[in-house]
Amino acid sequence: MESLLEKIKAGVLWDFPGGVHPPQRKKLSNQTEISLLPLAEHYWVPVKQHIGAVNHILVASGDKVKKGQALTAFNDKMSVPVHAPTSGTIGKIEPHVSAHPSGIPALSIQIIADGLDEWCEISPKIHFRTLPKSDVIGFIQAAGVAGLGGAAFPTHVKQTPNQPCEILLINGVECEPYITSDDRVMREHADEVIHGIEVLAYILEPKLVVIAIEDNKPEAINAMEAACAGKANFVVRVLPTKYPAGGEKQIIQVITNMEVPKGKISADIGVVSQNVGTVYAIYKAIYLGEPLIDRVVTVTGENIETAGNYRLPIGTPIAHVLNHVKHDNQHNERVIMGGPMMGFTVLNKQVPVTKITNCLLIPTQQELPDAPPEQACIRCGECADACPASLLPQQLYWHSKAKEHDKAQAYNLFDCIECGACAFVCPSDIPLVQYYRQTKAEIREANEEKIKAEKAKERFETRNARLERDKQERLDKHKRSAELRKQSLNTDQSAQDKIAAAMARAKAKKAQKNSTNDITKTDQNAEPNTLENTTLENSAVEKNAVESNISQSNSPIKNKAQEAIARAKAKREAKLNNNASTEEQNTTAPPSHKVESDLDHSPNEPVEADPIKSKAQAAIARAKAKREAKLKNADATATNSQKASASDSASQKEAEPKPENQRAATLTHDSTIDSNNDEIASTVSPIKLKAQAAIARAKAKKAAKLAEESKPAAHSSAESDKTTLEPKTAADQTDEQVDEHLQTSTTNEPTEISEAMYQTELEIDPIKSKAQAAIARAKAKRQQKMAEQASVTQPENAKAEANIQFDAEAKSRAKAAIERAKARRDQANQLAHGGETGSSSITNTTTASSLDSESGNSEDENANQVKAAKVKAALAKAKAKRQKS
Amino acid sequence: MSFKLASSPHTRKNNKTAFVMLTVMSACIPGILTQAYFFGFGVFIQLAICMSVALFTEYACLKWRNKPIKRSLTDNSALLTGLLLAVSIPPLAPWWIGAIGTLFAIALVKQAYGGLGQNIFNPAMAAYVLLLVSFPLSMTSWLPASSLMVIDLNFYDTLSTILTGYTSQGYSLEQLRSGIDGLTMATPLDAIKTNLLAGYTYNETLSLPIFDNGIGKGWFYVSLAYLVGGLYLLKKRIIKWQIPVSFIGTLGFLTLVTQAVNADGTGSMLLHLTSGATCFAAFFILTDPVSAATTNKGRLIYGALIGFLVFIIRQFGGYPDAVAFAVLLANMTVPLIDYYTQPKVFGHGDK
Amino acid sequence: MSPLQEISWQGLWKNNPALVQMLGLCPLLAVSNTTINGLGLGLATLFVLLGSNITVSLVRNWVPNEIRIPVFVMIIAGLVTVIQLLMNAYTYALYQTLGIFIPLIVTNCAIIGRAEAFASKNNVKLAAWDGLMMGLGFLLILVALGIVREVLGNGTLFSGAHLLFGSMATHWQITLFETNETFLIAILPPGAFIALGLLIAVKNKFDKRIEALVVGEKKAKTTERARVTADNIT
Repeated sequence: MESLLEKIKAGVLWDFPGGVHPPQRKKLSNQTEISLLPLAEHYWVPVKQHIGAVNHILVASGDKVKKGQALTAFNDKMSVPVHAPTSGTIGKIEPHVSAHPSGIPALSIQIIADGLDEWCEISPKIHFRTLPKSDVIGFIQAAGVAGLGGAAFPTHVKQTPNQPCEILLINGVECEPYITSDDRVMREHADEVIHGIEVLAYILEPKLVVIAIEDNKPEAINAMEAACAGKANFVVRVLPTKYPAGGEKQIIQVITNMEVPKGKISADIGVVSQNVGTVYAIYKAIYLGEPLIDRVVTVTGENIETAGNYRLPIGTPIAHVLNHVKHDNQHNERVIMGGPMMGFTVLNKQVPVTKITNCLLIPTQQELPDAPPEQACIRCGECADACPASLLPQQLYWHSKAKEHDKAQAYNLFDCIECGACAFVCPSDIPLVQYYRQTKAEIREANEEKIKAEKAKERFETRNARLERDKQERLDKHKRSAELRKQSLNTDQSAQDKIAAAMARAKAKKAQKNSTNDITKTDQNAEPNTLENTTLENSAVEKNAVESNISQSNSPIKNKAQEAIARAKAKREAKLNNNASTEEQNTTAPPSHKVESDLDHSPNEPVEADPIKSKAQAAIARAKAKREAKLKNADATATNSQKASASDSASQKEAEPKPENQRAATLTHDSTIDSNNDEIASTVSPIKLKAQAAIARAKAKKAAKLAEESKPAAHSSAESDKTTLEPKTAADQTDEQVDEHLQTSTTNEPTEISEAMYQTELEIDPIKSKAQAAIARAKAKRQQKMAEQASVTQPENAKAEANIQFDAEAKSRAKAAIERAKARRDQANQLAHGGETGSSSITNTTTASSLDSESGNSEDENANQVKAAKVKAALAKAKAKRQKS
Repeated sequence: MSFKLASSPHTRKNNKTAFVMLTVMSACIPGILTQAYFFGFGVFIQLAICMSVALFTEYACLKWRNKPIKRSLTDNSALLTGLLLAVSIPPLAPWWIGAIGTLFAIALVKQAYGGLGQNIFNPAMAAYVLLLVSFPLSMTSWLPASSLMVIDLNFYDTLSTILTGYTSQGYSLEQLRSGIDGLTMATPLDAIKTNLLAGYTYNETLSLPIFDNGIGKGWFYVSLAYLVGGLYLLKKRIIKWQIPVSFIGTLGFLTLVTQAVNADGTGSMLLHLTSGATCFAAFFILTDPVSAATTNKGRLIYGALIGFLVFIIRQFGGYPDAVAFAVLLANMTVPLIDYYTQPKVFGHGDK
Repeated sequence: MSPLQEISWQGLWKNNPALVQMLGLCPLLAVSNTTINGLGLGLATLFVLLGSNITVSLVRNWVPNEIRIPVFVMIIAGLVTVIQLLMNAYTYALYQTLGIFIPLIVTNCAIIGRAEAFASKNNVKLAAWDGLMMGLGFLLILVALGIVREVLGNGTLFSGAHLLFGSMATHWQITLFETNETFLIAILPPGAFIALGLLIAVKNKFDKRIEALVVGEKKAKTTERARVTADNIT
């Protein structure tokens, strides 16, 4: 680098490849000094005039602002604020046609000038050398200084390069034809420019400052040389006129013979370059304290008589400018913002002058004729000769035209600086730069689409994986619990004996019921299917169904063993289930329903292919009856039953239910009910017993609930409050939960209650199990919500829920839901067998009351009945939907 | 009021395709005039035939393809193809030779490939090859320099020969071509080839009347005239220096080497460079932008390749003049050359 | 279309071995310099194709899959030898003119292609018909090219007819025009390539026209809904 600096100081210049020599036409506008135009009536200041993020607007419509007042705040490092160009009132803040080739409206702030042009408070920082560098940079940012060369890169960002700055390059080249703003600034304000450079030099501490000027500006060269006289590290270098020598990369190549590597910025090779206009703005910001509110704009073109440079406030509408320069309005068809090589045509006269406006070119038709129609490319290679980036514009053209994006990128499309030299020389008038811009936009769009698609794909795959995981977990759990059940059953001999006996009885009954079951079968088959969904419960149910089917199809010896197992299973499930009903053991749809009907209609034996199940279910029924009888004598309290059920649930969780325990538990449950309802105790048929037991339980639950409400139990009170406050909503919630659960493939993580419920319900009744599961989930959710309010974490909640599984409210709701589910199903079955309804409802209430055994809350029963109707409706809906799908 | 929208750049250099083609045609004028001076009016008539057939064929093809006619017809590319072909064929060739050749060049070699800018092969050279292979007799009936000719031809005679095959007095083309001694004259390259094969040395061949102190009579000046035209094109920056320089350089170098090695067995370098179509091809045929290489390095390789091929075919091949075949062969390699000679892009470091 | 019609359509036009499949181009371009040459080789190829298709179809169920190609080639070679010996015996001058291209019929991809693609998968009747149609398609192109090249190159038509058809055909030759300088390139292989390319272009043009007609017909078939509104009510 040292030798390079020496070379530069000695005056060595290099060259960049390519380049063209368009007619310069600078004399049109560089003869007169920079002048001012009168104030406009209103100014439209775009909020975003820099490369970077959009800023926060500080003013509102109707505010009074002074000249130089900040209109936006700068939030992050990359943004610069905009300031009011004159004093006045804020008008509208809305999208206004923007200074962009597309003319798309961009958010702009309208300032209605009051004519006074009052400055706000400004604080010059002439002694900036005493301030820390970061402060100075901060002032530059606050003044809103952005690159005035055309790109509007936030200037303050350039002052903090990663590498130490070796060369500070001041770009006074102004290679584009017609534009003379930098020329006049250098001629008239050379000293100020040098002051501005000194500010930058203070911040960057470069080893050398090079001021590059083209040789078509002799007066500017003289002025700058005079101003730098005596400064050791300031050199003025004169470049031969060639377009686009003023491009940052090209000027660096000419001055230092270094190429900015692809993907890097000039600061990475130790060169920081700033435009002369920007430096002048820095001078004003630091030495005068004035923010960037105006800039020198060349207004030129043969259509204008008073062509020259004007200091225009940022935000001046072009209409105002046109009104004040003498121009031929009749034949004014184009206004080009910028030069003829890289400028863009503006959409209409309302476009404002912004920080990047260096020229307003209003040409006549002869001066800059319209583009002739494009012809075929003759492969002459002129474009490749002209390209300053040594690209192959011809190949880029072929591939852009054919929309071969990957090939275009392979030929380094994105290295094109869009200078327009290739299109300038093309003999066939092909708008090459337009093709490249279009292709670049298409490639960018395609990349964005790809990213979006990839994200969507990722989300989808993660979700699928999660669902799979959940499913797998559930399957595993079921498997484990099933195995444990089997094991426990095999070890319990007495239970097996009893089961065997019961099965024998059931078989006999079945034989009688053959005729009616045909009808019931179809209906009852339909029911579980309608409520079928893709949850684990179904699969587990089906799995168990399959297992039992397989077991039943084997040899007689096996059958006996399987019979026993089945009976045990049935019994256990009946006991585990708080809502012990007559429909236990629904290993396969037909048998369960047959058993149910078997138990419900004692005179009729179901015709089924599964004698074992019916036996089992009959056994369960009898067991229950026994239980109820025993319970009459027992004296159980809600808490006891709770404990029992808690132990029950605990045993469930551990998956080691013993029939005796279950029996005991159910006995205790029933005892609670029976203690409250003497009527139930006197029933004869097991069904009636059950029903009455259920009712009793419901009542008991309500009572318990009422009892508990008086207790200052945090959870229960909260729950009860909730219950009392929203009895209906609870029911609705449960309904919704049930519906949701039934209609969608669930994504809810079942709480431990639900897990317990699953295990108990699976082989009993899919509807009920699902309903209960849904209810349980609803419960859990609600409890979770409340726990969150009480700042209890979710897993703890779940545990708490599990522990208070038999909490009055929860239970009542669950019961209600089950009731409703049952009611719905039974309603459906009403078509087939009218007599069942009554028993079913009884069983419903039995179920409800079994849940209510601990609470003994009579009010709940009424609520339950109300809920029952709703649940029925919801379930019926769900079923219908199921059937549809 | 909305302004007209346009895309930058809003100004263009004033060289259009039509202008480029016209400039190239005008640069041929010295050569054509010299050719007419030495070999008679035939070349003008051939020009007329070829250019009119070219225009007509282009018009017909554009119409058939439903392309905009005026824009494509006025880019002068068809006229240029016709001109190049007319100059390449013998001045007294029958009219249908030029017609068939131009028809083939425009319709099959240019339009069938997609029109201007899309053809892989140089149309004029492809047509020349077709004619050479199809009508070897007519295509090799070159006239000797008019100073050597026994029978003088005026314009009317020339026209009549071209159209009918006989002069107004009834002389056939063969008779016209015969020298004083009755032997038909040939082009210098042709003569050298036949004589060398017959066993004569080069120096003995030089004693033939068609040679004039080691250079072909008439052909030397025609080549010079085309050289002048080519230099004019270079100055006007219509063509780039890489192709002519590399072509002439390679051919000259190779012939120099063989001359040094075996002076009697081959033609001298000067003869090779100034006979046949060397100079004409270097500046007008090879530099056809559509079928030549596009990168500068590629152009050097392209020119050198053609020079090498011309040398090989002239020395060892069956045809006296090899430029057309060499050009067609090199046209096939242009995409490969272009791919491997891409310039290093700014900022990409050392590639 | 019935299967036979479909096969005919495929062999003669839609899937023509020379214009569409572009198989067997070597003999096509080499011997189509006169009509009679083309006709002679075309007939030879036709007979070989017919015979090979029939034979392959007959044995298709017994040929193991792994060695089917050598078996087919052997069949074809046998048939070609038969044809060659016949030509050697009865049309000796033509046999000499065609020279090596008669045994080269074995390598004609059209024949092995049809054997593999069609004859080995269809019954004898269909295979025979397919062989006949494909061979006919090839023959027609050979004859067409022969005519074009002979007329352009020689100015004659059916020169050498006696070689194929015997002495009675000596006066079948038609001379269209006489010239000292014939269009030599038409006789040479480059001309054959160009002529073939132009033939394919003509065929494609026909196809496009037929397609346009068919599409047009389809459009015509769909009747427009007759709307009676206040405007067009009478």
